[in-house]
Amino acid sequence: MGLIVVLLFAWMLVIAFLAFIACTFEDLESDMGSQSNPNSQVQLAAQVGQINRFFNKAISGEPLSNALYCATAGTVAWLLLLKLEPLVPGEEWKAAVLAIPVGVLAAAMVNMIFSVTSHCGRTAAMKRFEQPIYLDVLYGHLLPIATHAFMTTFCITCIAYIQSNLGTLSGNPSLNHPFALPLLGFIWGITVGSIGSSTGDVHYGTEREFQDRPFGEGKRVVYHGKITRYADCGVRTQRDIAGFCAKFGGPVTGMTFGLIILFENWRSMVGMQLSGFLPALPVFTSTADMAAVIGIVMGLLIVAALAVGNLVFVRWVRKKCGPFVGV
Amino acid sequence: MTVTPAVVEEEAPTKKGLNFTFPLEETEMGIVAGIIAAVITIYTGFPAVIKGVGLILAFLWGMDSVHKTSKYGLGTGVPSIGVLAIGYGVIGTVMGLALAEYGRIGQLYPAVLVGVLVMGVIGLVSGTMSNHEKLIAMKIPHLERAMMELGMAGTLIILLECSIVTGSLNFGAVVTNVMNTGLIALMFIFSCFAILHPYNACLGPDERRERTRMVAVEIGGLVCVLLGLALVVLGTSPYGILDGVSLIVFGVAVWVVFFRMFIKACMDEAYSTVGTGLIKTIE
Repeated sequence: MGLIVVLLFAWMLVIAFLAFIACTFEDLESDMGSQSNPNSQVQLAAQVGQINRFFNKAISGEPLSNALYCATAGTVAWLLLLKLEPLVPGEEWKAAVLAIPVGVLAAAMVNMIFSVTSHCGRTAAMKRFEQPIYLDVLYGHLLPIATHAFMTTFCITCIAYIQSNLGTLSGNPSLNHPFALPLLGFIWGITVGSIGSSTGDVHYGTEREFQDRPFGEGKRVVYHGKITRYADCGVRTQRDIAGFCAKFGGPVTGMTFGLIILFENWRSMVGMQLSGFLPALPVFTSTADMAAVIGIVMGLLIVAALAVGNLVFVRWVRKKCGPFVGV
Repeated sequence: MTVTPAVVEEEAPTKKGLNFTFPLEETEMGIVAGIIAAVITIYTGFPAVIKGVGLILAFLWGMDSVHKTSKYGLGTGVPSIGVLAIGYGVIGTVMGLALAEYGRIGQLYPAVLVGVLVMGVIGLVSGTMSNHEKLIAMKIPHLERAMMELGMAGTLIILLECSIVTGSLNFGAVVTNVMNTGLIALMFIFSCFAILHPYNACLGPDERRERTRMVAVEIGGLVCVLLGLALVVLGTSPYGILDGVSLIVFGVAVWVVFFRMFIKACMDEAYSTVGTGLIKTIE
């Protein structure tokens, strides 16, 4: 196996690791601002009389908002790279070291602006339910939101940068991704937001609010807002929720995204390697077809293995720990 | 446990900061914004700041259409309406750009408006189909008109942004400077947010249209800053670097003014704004 192929596999592993970090922080950021996790409860709580001290970060769904941050970071970083790269010929990575954090900083500021407008706007629109704007809640949550979003966007922008320069970094520039940095950031932002939105929300439902009910069922909607009121000690804010979710929900979300990226890229790369497609990339030949066929077959095998493993694991857990409490 | 009654008698709006209103009603706003934005779109020789003004007007129009469409929902569908509008917009822009060379006089591209009109028709048809008794029968009031306006406003927004970044509406120039560079991703997502976020952020029983519109203008300022940055770096403007710099300055000024105005209005109009405090005890 040539050096280029080894480097390609190594960069793939780096991307999977960055994806793990990105999605962990993405999930925690959404908990910090009640974007997806206790979102419906926060939106409804004041309306059913449960006045709360939560941050109401209603910036659309997570996929769209993360696409916004990542596309902004990607665009600013790319614009800076256009200007900075000619200054350091032969050592373009130096430009990236400056451009990516600056771009991500711009995205974090955009995030803070949108967070402030949505919290103030939504709370002002709940005037008749007597929900006040607590300034300490507003200020106290902004930095945690921005820092968590910074980590997510930073990792995603790094992935997009690595991908768009993958060939150059491994020694064969023709392997570079054809899409530009902002577009890759946009696509990755939507992806990370979708996974973060669908996985790891351990704060409502059976896991916390209705632990005594099977599948969290059977309580009137009026009581759903109760989750926003009191913590284990004192009045609950989202900083408690991020602490709660960082133990399990965040990492498990990161693991989901990281494994998706790892398996997806690994099967394509192994398919390309086994069919002799790497590193010369012969265009539109039977070799390319063979690479696709091997990749798809390996993907099916991975899906089957995951499904069987999941089934066996859930059976084992149910046998060992018994039915849900309350049945 | 009992819950306090949800609806409380509204206080008369006596607080300060309430005097700001936009002079135009929804229909007037649509007509004025549509005509001005269309004129600015077809003549690409304007400096970027004027195009920025047209862009903000188009955002206001789009935001009004989102408001109209989503007023009868719970608030879960607001983002998708904004994305739908800009989705229409991208398709309409490609169509308008493909026809741009027909009837071109210098820097005047009247044919791009065909894309706007076609998207208006498509929006009207999809709105009618969604509301039609025998098809989807969603029965949302005013959906037809709102969908038509969404398509038209979305197309005008993307056309104006392309015009700002490339300085012309030539198909090749737009493909080189906007599509291939990936700037289309930023334009798409930021325009989506400029028309979906105002209503999404201000949603609630006490939502006020003037307050909602301030957010649209504020995000318009942010878009102007980012497009100005792109204009400076790409150097595509016929007026040189000053064009981009003036757009950035304009965007920052608009953002600062309207952001402050919005936050002040929210804090004044909320039930109360307190430094800190415990939550109200229930029983």
